[in-house]
Amino acid sequence: MPFYLYFLRRLLFVIPTLIGITAAAFFIANAIPSDPINTNLPQSALNNPEMIAAFRERWGLDKPPVERYFTYLSNLVQGDLGTSIKTHKPVADDIRRFLPATAELATYGTLFGIAIGVGFGIISAVWRNSFPDYLVRILSLIGVSFPVFLLALLALQVFYVNLGITAGPGRLGVKLDDPPAVTGWFTVDALLAGQFSVLGDALSHIILPSIILGLYSSGIIARITRSSLLEVLGADYIRTARAKGLSERLVVGRHALRNALIPVVTVIGLSYGNLLSGAVLTESIFAWPGIGRYMFRASTSQDFPAIMGVSILIAAIYVGVNFIVDILYYFLDPRIRLA
Amino acid sequence: MRGSFLRKLPALLLALVLALLISTTAFAQDEKVLVIGHAESTDSLDPARGYTQTTGIVLKATYQTLVTFPAADASSIEPELAESWTVSEDGLTYTFMLSADAAFADGHPVTADDVVFSINRLKAIKGNPAFLADGIASVSAVDASTVAITLTAASPSFLSLLPNSAFSVVDSEAVKANGGTDGEDDAAEAYLNGTSAGSGAYILESWEPQVETVLVRNAAYKGAAPHFDRIIIQNIPEPATQKTALEAGDIGLALDLTSDQISALKGNADIAIASGPANIIHFLLMNRDESIGGPVSNPQVAQAIRYALDYEGYKALWGGVAPGTNLAVGLAGAFGEDKAIQRDLDKAKALLAEAGYPDGFEITLDYPDFSFQGVNMNTNAQKIQADLAEVGIVVTLNPGDLGTALDGYRNGTQGFAYWFWGPDKLDPEDFLAFLPGGKVASDRTKWLAEGADQSLLDLIAQAKGELDPAKRIDLYGQLQVIAQESGAFAPFNQPDIQTAFAATLKGYVWHPQWLLDLALLSE
Amino acid sequence: MLSRNPLVLIGLLMIIGYVLVSLVSPSIIPRDPMKQDVSNRLKPPSADFSFGTDELGRDIFSRVLVGSRITIPAGVVVVVIGSALGTLVGAVAGYVGGVWDEIIMRVTELFMAFPTIILAMAVTAALGPDIRNAILALVVVWWPSYARLIRGLVLDVKSKEFVEGARSVGAPDFYILFRTVLPNCLSPVVVLATLDIGNAILTFAGLSFLGLGPDPSSPEWGRMVSIGIDFFDQWWMWLYPGMAIALLVMAFNFIGDGVRDILDPRLRK
Repeated sequence: MPFYLYFLRRLLFVIPTLIGITAAAFFIANAIPSDPINTNLPQSALNNPEMIAAFRERWGLDKPPVERYFTYLSNLVQGDLGTSIKTHKPVADDIRRFLPATAELATYGTLFGIAIGVGFGIISAVWRNSFPDYLVRILSLIGVSFPVFLLALLALQVFYVNLGITAGPGRLGVKLDDPPAVTGWFTVDALLAGQFSVLGDALSHIILPSIILGLYSSGIIARITRSSLLEVLGADYIRTARAKGLSERLVVGRHALRNALIPVVTVIGLSYGNLLSGAVLTESIFAWPGIGRYMFRASTSQDFPAIMGVSILIAAIYVGVNFIVDILYYFLDPRIRLA
Repeated sequence: MRGSFLRKLPALLLALVLALLISTTAFAQDEKVLVIGHAESTDSLDPARGYTQTTGIVLKATYQTLVTFPAADASSIEPELAESWTVSEDGLTYTFMLSADAAFADGHPVTADDVVFSINRLKAIKGNPAFLADGIASVSAVDASTVAITLTAASPSFLSLLPNSAFSVVDSEAVKANGGTDGEDDAAEAYLNGTSAGSGAYILESWEPQVETVLVRNAAYKGAAPHFDRIIIQNIPEPATQKTALEAGDIGLALDLTSDQISALKGNADIAIASGPANIIHFLLMNRDESIGGPVSNPQVAQAIRYALDYEGYKALWGGVAPGTNLAVGLAGAFGEDKAIQRDLDKAKALLAEAGYPDGFEITLDYPDFSFQGVNMNTNAQKIQADLAEVGIVVTLNPGDLGTALDGYRNGTQGFAYWFWGPDKLDPEDFLAFLPGGKVASDRTKWLAEGADQSLLDLIAQAKGELDPAKRIDLYGQLQVIAQESGAFAPFNQPDIQTAFAATLKGYVWHPQWLLDLALLSE
Repeated sequence: MLSRNPLVLIGLLMIIGYVLVSLVSPSIIPRDPMKQDVSNRLKPPSADFSFGTDELGRDIFSRVLVGSRITIPAGVVVVVIGSALGTLVGAVAGYVGGVWDEIIMRVTELFMAFPTIILAMAVTAALGPDIRNAILALVVVWWPSYARLIRGLVLDVKSKEFVEGARSVGAPDFYILFRTVLPNCLSPVVVLATLDIGNAILTFAGLSFLGLGPDPSSPEWGRMVSIGIDFFDQWWMWLYPGMAIALLVMAFNFIGDGVRDILDPRLRK
């Protein structure tokens, strides 16, 4: 199958999925049984039928759900996700404000997860079925068994309270001003502005939550690295390389690793998408002003425009990542090209 | 490629270490900054709309009122924007002479027009604090520095209302320029949430809801200059995090520690503690509308619940006193512990049986998932659940987001709820809010004046108009007895205030009206 | 399998221990887990109170033991209902094929596009927080991966000879699917579902930690940790229930690791 045909076919699948996602999010959010009027209008307005009618009209509550859905959809296409009931700001603006914090956290988390995961995976594969392998595997099994909130509490207790070597909750020390916003990533923005004290403080804040977030992806990255490396190490060309008398370090480092990393890259891509959303618990303990915390607050205050906006955004990111992985597979897996 | 990255790694690491070193040494500290850790409850920073404890703290710092109280109590009325005032013989008209000194942040003087605009705006917007101005018939500028306020009826406690943050005087020009009016079409809330338009010691630099409120010194302030150039109120909802941040020196003042945490801090030489009686009452609300309250709408059931609560237990948790009624202990005439209801499970069960619920009933308790000044509402709610289980009432707990729950409370849609209350007025009259016709009773509990006992309504009217202090106290005593017998509320604890701060911080004073005057703090 | 990987045995023993504790806990707990006693509040672990007491003087040891009767069944129920639903949907999709397969699998993918906890949060926001709704929310999140798995297995088995045989003798589709095809697909699903309970428990505890599960006074482990955070210094309030979750999930992961080794053909040499 030629590339353009494959590409178009995958793209054709993406569009109905995206529409389906908006429909699912809309109908879940609208299943809220309580009347949003009670929670969102002041007392003085509740006795005023005109204000109630105005509120219903403003949020489109006077129209049947299907019609409201199509209104929502047409606004969505124009980048309008509605206005958050809780923050009184456009949901799109809120997301723009909170997403960079989560993206920064997820990126550092993924980097950490790769460092630990790939490292552990290599150790595990090279010393297969010996002590280092068992140690690494048991450690990573134990690591992923801890609820993220418990690990976060323990980390705060030890590194912030007892040892005092990292900063506590939050993104930046309260006495510091945010660096001038360029990317929305404090570490990058501080570097761009040359504010090294802000950079240091931001790093000291991000280190604990990103390590904790990264631990979870490191487990699966280590497992895939191990099994994929073991498979490659059994392949003919590796045996040839060994037969040529190359050192084991060269065999693993130069020949095996490069080929073994292909499935690992896929897993990293998918786990990055998961981290973006999985940050809810981490963000809530570390008071990280990201999209997870925003979603949590929206869900406890029945802020349905915000709930829908975030759900759709994150699902769309997931679909996007899947699409990219599918496209990558075209190049990685010859069977697709021949099909 | 991997190789080149590895070669660069040492340089990158070095840069990182350098950055960390610089960060710990190079805090440019020429300005004096105080960071306060606080569980923020701000609903709005527009004086005509906001009405919560945090709002009060911020408005006290950024605005001024016509008259005020002394720094630590409400024992007398003192001049602020008004340097003097007179009262007409019929007690209906108050005339205030403004001080020539007072000026807004941009330097132009506070005039009578600003006062008139502020009060008219408060009435017109009909926001949460608007009820405080209900007794005001009209307000007018006699000349540029003289204001006359006319009441609908003589009120002995009128002046003690004015220090309330709702009567903050705003810069009418600035507010008007940003969409403000003194009619229903006012659109200045967003502006006032972003900056203050007042004459207080501080200016609001920014408010990011649930994150932080930043105040900077007002250079044009005419009073004694405050010590701190910048005060940051950092929202830290969890008392445990506040304590850790205080110990780590990240914050200088923690407003919401629990009594357990305070006792744990007592040996720490770097930390000072202030504690003492306060005037916040924690209470249960039982809606009189049967379609909302269900079984608790029955006055006998409400009475049974008052007998079922373990008052000594709440005192063991938070200190303070068990108040006799919703009239805060400390205000004139309030029923203290000697006249408070004592737990009596047999009586509670008998009352339930009489009301037709011999085996109890099931009900949901709404409350905010919040810690207020160190009192963990989740803990109290669980205790309420256990207390009521002993008389057969099965309570399901429904903690909610503070803002959402607050709306439900103010809109009167909660049937059985747990809330706290700080007095609007430092006067026995505050208690009228909890009686038919009053704000909490009528709007939030549907305990309405219509259908109430005529003798009760007469008594309320009498108490409102009585000028003789001894007779007033007697009348409020009678009203409190009625509330204990047939009220729609079950007050169960009036906790002590607990505050911890860096030992270097001076000037912390708890105030019954505004809780904390930031301008008095220094180091 | 047991001899090659001692972790599997350890995990198995731990799970048996947990199940036993949850079965007998009502009769072995030293105190009533709901009984409050403010005069004995926030007591550190001691001979009297092995795990200390919480903010209302309740015995944490008893609460942790009894908590197993909430969390373990919740995890099991989520996986059982989720996998049953997923199996049904996936089997129909795989067996019927064609347009129906396409439609069903699109819907399945749709649900998989929402990250677990986000979808669960949206569902509990809509239904209100309580334990039944938390379980329901997790079922909504849980079934799609099973549907996908079963569909693949059914497609595989469908083309086998004995299925063709059943079809040629004129057996009805319903009969073929449920008596011939499905029984041959179920064993990997049962294994996976068993191991998945650990995951379900972890996610349930997460929801509950966020306050989207049971009542604050419930001895559910995740809830106890979230209450305990308010009393950070009293580490025993959050550490013991947190460890109860961690050890249980660890047990499932230990077994899962061994089983994965056996199922991964690349490693079976």
